[in-house]
Amino acid sequence: MTIPRLLPLLSLAILAGYPADAQEPEPTATVIAIPPLATAKNVETDGGKTWALANLISDLIAADLGSTGNFIIADVKKVRIPSYPEVTAPSYPQWRSVGAKLLLSGFVNSRDDGRLTIGCYVYDVQTGRELARQGFAVTATEWRRAAHRCADAAYQKATGKAPQFDSRIAYVAQSGSGDTLVKRIAVMDFDGASHAYVTSGDSTVLTPAWSPKGDRIAYTSFSGGKLHIRTAGVTDKDDRPLLPMAEENFAPTFSPDGRTIAFAMSQGGNVDIFIVPAGGGYPHRLTTSPSIETGPSYSPDGRRIAFVSDRSGAPQLYVMDSDGTNQRRISFGPGAYGAPAWSPDGSRIAFTRIEGPLSRIGTVSTEGSDEKIVTMGPNDEEPSWSPDGSRLLFQRQEPATRRVHLASVSAAGGEVRSVPTPQGASDPSWSERGE
Amino acid sequence: MNRTFSLLTAVIVAAASTSAVAQVRLPVIFPLGRSQPAPPPPGMPPVGMNTPEVLQSDLIVKAGTDTVYFPARGAILDSNARATLTAQARWLLANPYMNARLEGHGGADDSRDFALAIGDKRANAVRDFLILQGIAPNRISVISWGKERPGTMRIGTSVVATGPRVRTVVVPAPAPFAPPPVPGQ
Repeated sequence: MTIPRLLPLLSLAILAGYPADAQEPEPTATVIAIPPLATAKNVETDGGKTWALANLISDLIAADLGSTGNFIIADVKKVRIPSYPEVTAPSYPQWRSVGAKLLLSGFVNSRDDGRLTIGCYVYDVQTGRELARQGFAVTATEWRRAAHRCADAAYQKATGKAPQFDSRIAYVAQSGSGDTLVKRIAVMDFDGASHAYVTSGDSTVLTPAWSPKGDRIAYTSFSGGKLHIRTAGVTDKDDRPLLPMAEENFAPTFSPDGRTIAFAMSQGGNVDIFIVPAGGGYPHRLTTSPSIETGPSYSPDGRRIAFVSDRSGAPQLYVMDSDGTNQRRISFGPGAYGAPAWSPDGSRIAFTRIEGPLSRIGTVSTEGSDEKIVTMGPNDEEPSWSPDGSRLLFQRQEPATRRVHLASVSAAGGEVRSVPTPQGASDPSWSERGE
Repeated sequence: MNRTFSLLTAVIVAAASTSAVAQVRLPVIFPLGRSQPAPPPPGMPPVGMNTPEVLQSDLIVKAGTDTVYFPARGAILDSNARATLTAQARWLLANPYMNARLEGHGGADDSRDFALAIGDKRANAVRDFLILQGIAPNRISVISWGKERPGTMRIGTSVVATGPRVRTVVVPAPAPFAPPPVPGQ
């Protein structure tokens, strides 16, 4: 009875959820109901009362899913909040009444050791089937990670894409300007929470790159008046140079197995690409051309490396096997290409192309065909893929204020969204968080 | 008579004013702190004559400039740059206790990694030229700033960006060896 009356309202709500100028409407947006999580007993924990946490977690899940454009969050204010037993036996009619196709419910319980048990369940409301269930034991202050994982479960079921919410972004935070410019490596969750600095700001730092496990960051530093690569632990602040005795080296990137770092090193003015064990050691040279080779990026299977070379006269993109053989050029457009980044599914390479006053973020297939420009603006540079490969994070400079900040765009193109950071931000690196 | 009277009056007034000044007995003023450095004694060179900043200005005066410029994405020295560097080499030969740090820069329209690479290539091109002019290789160090320090130059009233360039910075040479031990100690 209520459903026919709600349908016109619902379609209005769907229309209202999308601004008219959105360039990429999502035809497959899923309506999902996310009621507050239940708790068996409302007790005090380090992170607050479990009932308060239950509300925070459901809000965070809704924020995660709503940020993708693949979901419409159903209004559940009028619906009775499910009780603890109802988490595993939902009353489907009440969720159908709000037009939901999916239901994400769950619970938060406090354990005797002070940790939390967080469980979540994804149900198909129409068929009444359970699609996914996940459980996590986390410390009371780490509930955000469990919430992100819950959102990932629903995201994977609805879109079929890889998880992306429990991920982190490393970038270069910058404050001041001119002679007082301070650059520091900073890390944060993909939604801006848990922000922390990795370096102190004593010396200029550039181009952070995550290790695949998410425990270390390799970056380029000018500390001690020398241009060199350092690696730093994200939590333990164990910061050391990669090659203490080498000539100028920069542009580090980890191999997908985390064992090797590919980087660029100068030998008497000839910059070439080298690899070295991630803990340091003897560098092995991959390219031998007298031109500049820099900016390496591994393919996800670790077999190939994309890089930049000016052997043709202007910087262009090239691909080689990870032992340095089989080098091929893949970009042929005008202007200067740079900052290649291999996509997580291995099919495309994102890049910066600077021509005239504007720079562009684009992607090209690994064979060099099908070049697509995604954004164009003053100083759009340094693209980095989201862990599921659906979005590109990059740095953009506001032409009026000259402030550099982070922005993201769908890999297929479309609306550019600003990514808020406490200070100016550049050189993003987006990574899935390890265990 | 009239004139004599006016003269007398003027003398009286002047005497009264000098006695008023003499009543204020000023103390002897000693300079305190470092706000006013004492002037160097005559016959001695002023303090700070050989600081790197002063020598940097001396290099600029003698060689015309401390910076050579490059075309976008180029690292080849043109005739202007070679003339400047020849003069810089002469200065370095005349000042053997100072070393040179060559700071290479990329352009604002290079990507970050490429700017670091091309800055290094430019600084090394300058290094090679200075070595050809007779400067010992161990007196020259090289660093690339990529596009981290976009320089500016004042032309008239406008400030324009200076991109691809290499600046020669004068740095003191490290002491060649430790002072010899004093015999008998």
